[in-house]
Amino acid sequence: MSVIGADAPRVDGPAKVTGAAQYTADIVLPGMLHAKVLRSTMPHARLVRIDASAAERELGVVTITRDDLTGMDPYYGPVVKDQPIVGIDRVLFAGDVIAVVAAEARDIAEEALDLIEVEYEPLPVVTDSDAAMAEGAPVLHAARRTPQVTFPDMKSVHFQTDSNVCSVYHVERGDVEAGFADADELFEDVYSVPTIQHGHIEPHASIAYWEPSGKLVVHTSTQNPSVIRTQLADLFGLPETSVRVIVPYVGGGYGAKTYPKLEPIVAALSRKARRPVSLVISREEVFMTAVRHAASVRIKTGVRCDGTLVARRVVATYDTGAYADIGPRTAKNGGYSAGGPYRIEHQDLTSYCVYTNKPPAGAFRGFGVPQVCWAYESQMDDIARRLGMDPVELRKRNLIQENDLFVTGDRLVSVGLDKCLDQVVEAIGWRGIESTRPIETDRPGFVRGLGLAVMIKSTMTPSNSAASVRLNADGSATLLTSSVEIGQGSHTGLAQIVAEAIGLPLDRVSVTFPDTDFTPYDQSTSSSRTIFSMGHAARQAGIQIRDQLLEIASGRFEAAVEDLEIVDGSIRVKGVPAQSLTIPQVFTTHFGAAVGSLFGAFDYQTTGGLDPDTGMGKASAFWFLSAAGAEVEVDTRTGKIRVLRAVTSVDVGKAINPRQCWLQNEGSMLTALGSALFEEMLFDNGQPVNASFLDYMLPSMEDFPDTFRSMLVETPHPEGPYGAKGMGEAGLGPVAPAIGNAVANALGGVRLRDLPLRPERVLDALTKEGLQ
Amino acid sequence: MKRPITTTINERTRDIVVAPNRTLLEVLRDELGLRGAVEGCGVGVCGSCTVLVDDRPVSSCLMLATNAEGRTITTIEGVSRDGELSPVQRAFLEQQAFQCGFCTPGMIMAVEGLIRENPNPDEAEIRDYLSGNLCRCGTYSAVIAAVQSVVVQARAETENSRPAAH
Repeated sequence: MSVIGADAPRVDGPAKVTGAAQYTADIVLPGMLHAKVLRSTMPHARLVRIDASAAERELGVVTITRDDLTGMDPYYGPVVKDQPIVGIDRVLFAGDVIAVVAAEARDIAEEALDLIEVEYEPLPVVTDSDAAMAEGAPVLHAARRTPQVTFPDMKSVHFQTDSNVCSVYHVERGDVEAGFADADELFEDVYSVPTIQHGHIEPHASIAYWEPSGKLVVHTSTQNPSVIRTQLADLFGLPETSVRVIVPYVGGGYGAKTYPKLEPIVAALSRKARRPVSLVISREEVFMTAVRHAASVRIKTGVRCDGTLVARRVVATYDTGAYADIGPRTAKNGGYSAGGPYRIEHQDLTSYCVYTNKPPAGAFRGFGVPQVCWAYESQMDDIARRLGMDPVELRKRNLIQENDLFVTGDRLVSVGLDKCLDQVVEAIGWRGIESTRPIETDRPGFVRGLGLAVMIKSTMTPSNSAASVRLNADGSATLLTSSVEIGQGSHTGLAQIVAEAIGLPLDRVSVTFPDTDFTPYDQSTSSSRTIFSMGHAARQAGIQIRDQLLEIASGRFEAAVEDLEIVDGSIRVKGVPAQSLTIPQVFTTHFGAAVGSLFGAFDYQTTGGLDPDTGMGKASAFWFLSAAGAEVEVDTRTGKIRVLRAVTSVDVGKAINPRQCWLQNEGSMLTALGSALFEEMLFDNGQPVNASFLDYMLPSMEDFPDTFRSMLVETPHPEGPYGAKGMGEAGLGPVAPAIGNAVANALGGVRLRDLPLRPERVLDALTKEGLQ
Repeated sequence: MKRPITTTINERTRDIVVAPNRTLLEVLRDELGLRGAVEGCGVGVCGSCTVLVDDRPVSSCLMLATNAEGRTITTIEGVSRDGELSPVQRAFLEQQAFQCGFCTPGMIMAVEGLIRENPNPDEAEIRDYLSGNLCRCGTYSAVIAAVQSVVVQARAETENSRPAAH
C-alpha cells in the first residue's frame, strides 16, 4: 500500500511527548560559557564611548565590543551587509546590540552588563516608512554597502543608496491609466498592517566553539543551516568546510529563524573566549531580533458594472526596520502578489522596502503577502457591495485559472482556487448576497456576520535543495538532508517520500538532522518549500537507489527491469510474487555478502527569476492558493469581536500526510486570527512598549473559535513529488480579510482598514458612521 | 546564601542546596538535568515550563526553588512509568497533538493536572484550564481531541472495572 497520502504517525512523536526532544538550549558542552547581550536603550544614536574594561576586570568575563571585531568582516546580512555584529559607530533601534558578555554563569554575565559604560549622542528618529521616505528624513544607512547577489532571485529588485528606501520592485502589465479610464467605477483606499512578532515559543539560541584546527562549530536554532554556514565562512574568511552548522529540533520559527541571528555573535565571542559559548535570549529580546513588516498599502481598482476587474494599481510600503535582513525579497513578493489571484488586464504594482529605527523585519509566515491580501480582499468586498453583487460571484468572475498568465508572466499550473472557494462557501454556509447582511442575535447589541477571502502566494525561486539517500544492506535507508524539523513534520513527510520512491516500509527510513559536515546544501526550511523542493530531491535520490536494486535483481532473475517491482522492501517479478528477493539478498548478489551500501543523490534547482527592469519572468516554481471563511460576532456596545467559526481550504497539490497538512494549516489560521484581532507591536518614539508575553498576547485556547476547520484541495503539480506542493503558509493570508469582511457584513458595510481590529477601532468606526 | 531543601521530584526524595534567587525551572534544568520543562517567556504566561507541584500545574519559571521545600514535584520526565507512556502522553502521540514540540511537555503537564483535578472535563473546561499554555504552531484542536480521548478512555475503564449490576 502506498505511504503517500497516509496519515503516517510522526517519527518525532516519542521524543516530543516525553520531553526528550533536544533543542539548542538543552545542549551543554564541557567548559561552556553563557552569554548576555547589552542592548541599546536608544532608537537612534551615535556611540560616543563604550567601555567594557570594568566588567572584564571586576568579574573576569569575556566581552565583545566594536574594538574586538578585528580580522573579520564586522557586517553581515543575507542580502545587504548592513548589520554589525555589535554596534560600531551607531545604534539604529532600541534593542540594537552594543556589546556581548560571556561568563561562567548567566547571572554573572547579567551583572557584567551593568558594568559596561555606554555614552550615546541621540540622533533623530524615524519610526514609520512614511516618515522615512519623507523629504529631509535622516538617512539611516548613508554609506550603503553594495548588495551581494547571495541568492539568484535578488537580481530582480532595484537597490537604492541615497535614501531610506533599501529596494524597489515594480511590475506592470497593460496600461493602467487606460484601464482606469475604461472602468465604470473606481475604488481607492489605503490599508495598514502593523508590526507583529512571530511568537515562536522557543527563543533564539545558538552555541559556538572553535576547534584547535581553526574550524568553527555552531549548534543553532535556525531554519537555514546552509546559509548560516556560508555567511559565517564569509565573515571569518574561512572555506565553508571550516564551518560546521548543526541543528537539533527547532521550537518554531515561522520565518524568525531564517538567516543569521545570534550565530555571528556567538562565533565572535567564542573566538575571543577560546571556549564554547551559549547564547539563549529572553522573550523580550526575541521581540528585538525579528518582526513582521508593518506595511501600508495604497490600492486603486477600476471595475466594470458587470464586476470585471479592469485595472489595479498598488503601492505597498514595507517597514523593514533598522537592517535589511531579507526585507528586499519580502517586499518583492508582496509587490507582485498585490494584484491578487485575479485576471486583471491592466496592473501596475510597486513595493518599497524601507529602513526605519525599529527592530529588523524579515521573513514571517506568509512573506509579504498577508499585508497586501488584507488590502485587496477587503477592497474586493467593498466593490461587491457597491455593485450590489455577491462577493463570491465577483471573485469567481475574475479568479485566475489553470494556464493563465500571472502578472509576472508566469504560466500558472496546479490552480485549484475555484475548488478552494467552493469548499469554503459550503463549509461556512454562504448563501449568496443574502449572506452579506447582518445576522441578528437574540442578545441585544450583538450582531453576527459572514465573510470570506482568497489568496495567491509564491515560493522563493530559483532555489536549491540537495538530498542524499543511503541504503544499507539490511534494507534500512537514511535520508541525509539539511531540512530542519521545525514542527512541520518534515522528518515524517520526507521519510514517506523516500519510502515510496524506493519501495520500503516507512519504518525502514530515517531522516537526519542538519549537520553541514554531512548533509548536503539546502537553501532554507521556509517559503513552504521543503516538501516540494527537498521532497523532489529526496524522491529522485530514492529512485536512483530503486533503479540500482532493480538492475541487480534483473540479472539475478534474468528478467527485464520493467517487469520488476519493489513492494515493502522485496524485489519481485510483477505478477509472480513467489519470485522475489529481499534487499539483503540483492546486496549479496551484488557484493557477495550482505555488506556495503547503495547511494542516491540529487540536487534540485527550481528555475526562474525576474528581470529587474520589467519585473517579468518566472516568479515562482509553484503557487499556493487558498480561501478562507469566517463567522464573527460583534458586541456593538464594546466593539469586541469574537470569531465563532473559521475555515480555510488550501490547494496542496497532493497531501503526502493529510493530517499534518491540516494541523500545519491550523497554525497559519491561528496566527492570522491573532494578527486580525489583537496582535500588534507598539512603539513610543521608537521605544518598544509591549515586548513581553504579558503585554503582547498570542491566541490561546480561549480565542480558539468553536469551529476551526482546515480543508484540502488536491490539484497535482507536475514537478512536485507525487504532485505535492508547499502549503505551510497558505492558510495565513486570507483569514484576516475573511474576518474583516465578516465584521463589515455584521456592521452593514462599515469597513475597518487598519489591523488589528481592536475594540476601540470598531467603536470609532461605528461612531463615525453614526451607528453608535 | 544557598539553602538546603528537601523535596520530592518524580517520586524520589532529594536533598539539594539552592540559591534563594534560583527558580525551580533553573534548578530542574541546570542542576538536576531535567530538561523537558523549558523557558518560553520567563513571566509565567506561555506555560512551557509547567510542572506539577502537589499535583497542581505551576509555572516553574515563577516559583523559587526554595519554595519546593517539602513539596512533591512531577515533571514530564516523571509521568512515564518504567518506560511506559502515561495515558495523556499516549493520547498526545495518537492524536499527534504537537508540532514543533517545544510547548508539549508543559501542555502535557497541564493536562495531567487537569485530569487529576477534574477527571471528566467538558470542552469548555478543557479550553479554560489550558488557556495558560500557548502553542504558536496552533495545535489546539488536536490537544483538545487528545484530552477528550483520555477522558473517554478513563470513563470506559472505570465502567469496565465496576462490578456487574445485579
